[in-house]
Amino acid sequence: MTPRVLQNFKGGRALIVTGRGGPEGALETTLAKLGVASEHVPIVDGRAQLDVARLQADRDILFIDGDLEGVVPIEVNPSSRLPPAPVIGLVGVEAPSRLKALTNLGATSFLRKPVHGGAVYTSLFLGINQFLLRAEMYARLQNLEQRRAGRRAVVRSIIALMQQSGLDEDAAYSQLRRESMRARQSLEAYCEEFLSRRAQPPDNSGRTASMMLSGTDKQSL
Amino acid sequence: MAQRHFRIGVMFSSTGSYSVVARSMLNGALLAFREIAAAGGPVTLEPVVVDPSGDLQRYRALALELLGSGIRQVVGCYTSSGRKEVIPCFEKFDGLLWYPSHYEGFESSDNVIYTGAAPNQHVLPLVDYLASRVGIRAYCVGSNYIWAWENNRIFREALTARGGTVVAERYLPVGDTEVDQVVAAILDQRPDFVFNNLIGTSGYAFFRAFRATCAARGIDQAREIPVASCTLSEPELAEIGPDAIDGHLASSVYFSSLKSPENAAFMAAYDQNFPDGPVVSADAEASYIAVKLLAAALQQAGTDDVRVVRAAVADRRLQAPQGEVRIDPQTYHAWLTPRIGRSAANGQFELLLEARNPVAPDPYLVQSSPRFAVAMRPPALRVVQS
Repeated sequence: MTPRVLQNFKGGRALIVTGRGGPEGALETTLAKLGVASEHVPIVDGRAQLDVARLQADRDILFIDGDLEGVVPIEVNPSSRLPPAPVIGLVGVEAPSRLKALTNLGATSFLRKPVHGGAVYTSLFLGINQFLLRAEMYARLQNLEQRRAGRRAVVRSIIALMQQSGLDEDAAYSQLRRESMRARQSLEAYCEEFLSRRAQPPDNSGRTASMMLSGTDKQSL
Repeated sequence: MAQRHFRIGVMFSSTGSYSVVARSMLNGALLAFREIAAAGGPVTLEPVVVDPSGDLQRYRALALELLGSGIRQVVGCYTSSGRKEVIPCFEKFDGLLWYPSHYEGFESSDNVIYTGAAPNQHVLPLVDYLASRVGIRAYCVGSNYIWAWENNRIFREALTARGGTVVAERYLPVGDTEVDQVVAAILDQRPDFVFNNLIGTSGYAFFRAFRATCAARGIDQAREIPVASCTLSEPELAEIGPDAIDGHLASSVYFSSLKSPENAAFMAAYDQNFPDGPVVSADAEASYIAVKLLAAALQQAGTDDVRVVRAAVADRRLQAPQGEVRIDPQTYHAWLTPRIGRSAANGQFELLLEARNPVAPDPYLVQSSPRFAVAMRPPALRVVQS
């Protein structure tokens, strides 16, 4: 599936975290042309006064000056490595440590200081779309993890259905798949429900296995 | 105020494959220079005319030559590839380019004043017109460079949003006149209309071949498969020739057939100054506007320093041949009046629709495009096994 590409940034809000006076050059004037409002985030006692809880990923874009160290109180999600909103790093001193710090904050794009007007659209385009792409990839990864965890339920359901109905493995799988599609559920979620409907206690795997075996034996007789 | 004299660069490809429009642009600029000189005043302007001949490398070399000779203000360029070639020179050496042509947008250099139409002033009104009155199946053709690529993209997204489809896109090298394959491909698809972004000689060859091939097959091309363009102008109709001159749709902020005292005066002065043509085009009017605005800004600024001139032109208004024109202080593009016309046998455009008032420029289509890019429709599923 091709991810959707955001190309019109109208209604966006740029939260700019920079040092004294702000060396951003054409950043704000160019953002205004792109329909993005700018707000400077004040820094008090070495901490940017950013209300992280109120950040909205579909509206806010953080522009963070890489020359400021440790002033931004955001944390990336440890699993997805995603910040709460797209981060674009403003690069002054082009040193690996500064770039690494911005990357650790989840920056998906960079702009050199002073900012050249002609670079802003490209940087915004890349930063936001990479953020969206990562979010989508993470969602897919989570979905796959969930399904992987559910495979045991699928195996158990196939065996249970074989015992119950005398079907072979392929036929049992096909039936479960067909019924999951009819119920508009993933196969894994359907099988979890299938098993819970059969009221099997979750912690009697040893007993279940023996019952299955005896059941299989019985059917084979 | 002391008399001030400024040398102004004028850079149009008055030779080469798109020279017809470029010569009309040169004429439009020269007419403004002559009128300013005749009116007198504290500022005198000396045009320094150069011709890149449609060669991209020459654009860059000539821009550097003009800027190197101390010139700070240059009026010029027609193609977007030419403009993009010289913008780094203007940014590096701090000059100001007055770009007087409609273009595909997505640009706003601090070293450019744009007096031609932005995409919300040409291609979007055309999509509205075509989708509501002509049809929704389009075939796109264009010259193989940034103008056609981007204009077709904007067109495709706007048409798709209205439930339409682009059945195919075909591109020809700039100056290529081998159009028979493209014409045959269009007739295979039988779209509701053709959206044309071919420039110069490629466009003229296409209009002639398409009309002739349709006629040979008994198709009334202008009625059954009209061609719609954002580039087509009066001097180009003359180049296409009498056999295929009429029935073409054009979206433009200016047609020479507009009825207004300002346009009548402009047309009369143009014809008197340039009796050998080419006749007036929308881009000639944009060039005329650019020089007039430049002169007014220089007069106010008293210097040709880029920042001061830029500040002086912000929000400046001019009663132009097309109506009121104003430079937007945020984007340094112009407020212009979109119009749709249809070409007639007399080499003029019949006005079909026009905006009531000048429309604000929206070079990034911030106000007038979807947030997400519209994906091309995936190929339809086909049965591979029954």
